[in-house]
Amino acid sequence: MIESLLFYAFAGLAILSALLLVHIRNIARALFLLFIVLFAMAGLYLFALADFIAITQILVYVGGVLILLIFAFMLSNKELLDDLQPSSKRFISLPNWQAIILALAFLSLMIYSYISWAQHMPKWISQAEAKGRMILPTDNNIKTLGFKFMTQYVLPFEVISVFLMMALIGAAHLSRKESNK
Amino acid sequence: MADLVVHIIVPVVIFAFIAGFTLFAVYAERKIAGFVQDRLGPMETGKYGLIQTLADILKLLQKEFITPSAADKILFAVAPIVIFVAVFIGFSVVPWAPDFIPANTNTGLFFIMAVVSIDAIGILMAGWGSNNKYSLLGSIRAIAQMVSYELPVGLSLIAAVMITQTLNLNDIAYLQGISSPEQIYFMGVWDVSDIGGILAWHIFQAPHLLVVYVIFFISSLAECNRAPFDIPEAESELIGGFHTEYGGIKFAFLFLAEYAMMFLVAILGVVVFLGGWNSPLPNIGSLRLADWTTGLGWGIMWTLLKSLAIVGVQMWIRWTLPRFRADQLLTLCWKVLIPLAFVCLAISGLWRILVML
Repeated sequence: MIESLLFYAFAGLAILSALLLVHIRNIARALFLLFIVLFAMAGLYLFALADFIAITQILVYVGGVLILLIFAFMLSNKELLDDLQPSSKRFISLPNWQAIILALAFLSLMIYSYISWAQHMPKWISQAEAKGRMILPTDNNIKTLGFKFMTQYVLPFEVISVFLMMALIGAAHLSRKESNK
Repeated sequence: MADLVVHIIVPVVIFAFIAGFTLFAVYAERKIAGFVQDRLGPMETGKYGLIQTLADILKLLQKEFITPSAADKILFAVAPIVIFVAVFIGFSVVPWAPDFIPANTNTGLFFIMAVVSIDAIGILMAGWGSNNKYSLLGSIRAIAQMVSYELPVGLSLIAAVMITQTLNLNDIAYLQGISSPEQIYFMGVWDVSDIGGILAWHIFQAPHLLVVYVIFFISSLAECNRAPFDIPEAESELIGGFHTEYGGIKFAFLFLAEYAMMFLVAILGVVVFLGGWNSPLPNIGSLRLADWTTGLGWGIMWTLLKSLAIVGVQMWIRWTLPRFRADQLLTLCWKVLIPLAFVCLAISGLWRILVML
């Protein structure tokens, strides 16, 4: 009962602040609304028993990406931002009717998949349930994740770390002062 | 239903504790400042000035709400709440005694790291919302500092976690005393599972963890914007930093958050490195000091004593050392603490593989 109440509270918070976020004209407030959206999303991950993902979401997106966004916003020129305002209306130059078609198509896709899943539960779910191979709220998910990363998914894991390393070196190179030649 | 009542009582008790702690910490801070500077400190209100901070808080609570006319009203009002709540949630996963912990989660340490980073958002809100150049400069400095110093804090905690193999703060505390489920070795050679006490603390389980704790302590000072790392609120340059425009109860909450943060990093260091609720007294032969001084009441007492001692050291440092310049601060972080933390991280990995297995 309380769980479902909390779930709808988080979901409602995420949707409402996301709607307000794209509507609001004040960029500073929009960035802080993004904080609420990301935070509510982290709450929703908890209901999928993904506590590690939820905390990573807060640590990476709220503690890192969002702070960088706000920081960049605060260091940028005020007039530059004012110039940005009127043109931002046509930033994604999609006519309204196209957007509505897209939104409706996405909605119907979700409703269709929900109905088809409700009618025929995929076999692997019922099999896992029968074998008792389910994640419980008290499980140590981090341990499982760590073992999976270093055994079954070690190649994608290493590829991602090399990719992040490349991004890091690239960022360091771009921000380096040019030597006087 | 009983669960729900507990869920309400526990935060209320923690909040009451933080408020009481802040009252006496401010008094202690002023007395320590007086001692360091060879003067008496507050003496007028009550015996030895004991109720001075109580009078201060009464004055703060009575004050009018003042919002600057050019401020962003919503951000200005919300910022103190965000800052305080960010620190306050951190207390939910800290153990006080054996299995006496508000939320016994497997992600405790990681959770604290994430939650503390929300604090930075609150400071940006306060700085931007005040619409004051000193506030904005203060909050930009605060973020540059907090984001940089989150790295050595994180790396030093990871170095410790590689030894403990768990992020659950309750289990981490268990691994440092006589009730440990695993064998404990003093400096990796001498089995002290039965002796316990100060010898079983993490800082003595491996020689490099002592260095790691020093890194953690220095960077935790910077995390809570304490002197010598208090350039975000450098009074001589920025008036009051990000809280220049705040007054009354909003300022009281910012103040509460600052002291709660001090206590949070102190208790986190105690739980991860200094044995948590484990007794510092070892078992010596038939003199079972560690056995006698382990338990619920003892645990709470040890946690509190150790954390308050660390807070005392924080205050002592604040009034002893002069303030760093911004460039010195970031040089210390990026060129000294982070490389050192990486070296300790590598040693932790080798230690785990070569010594502990």
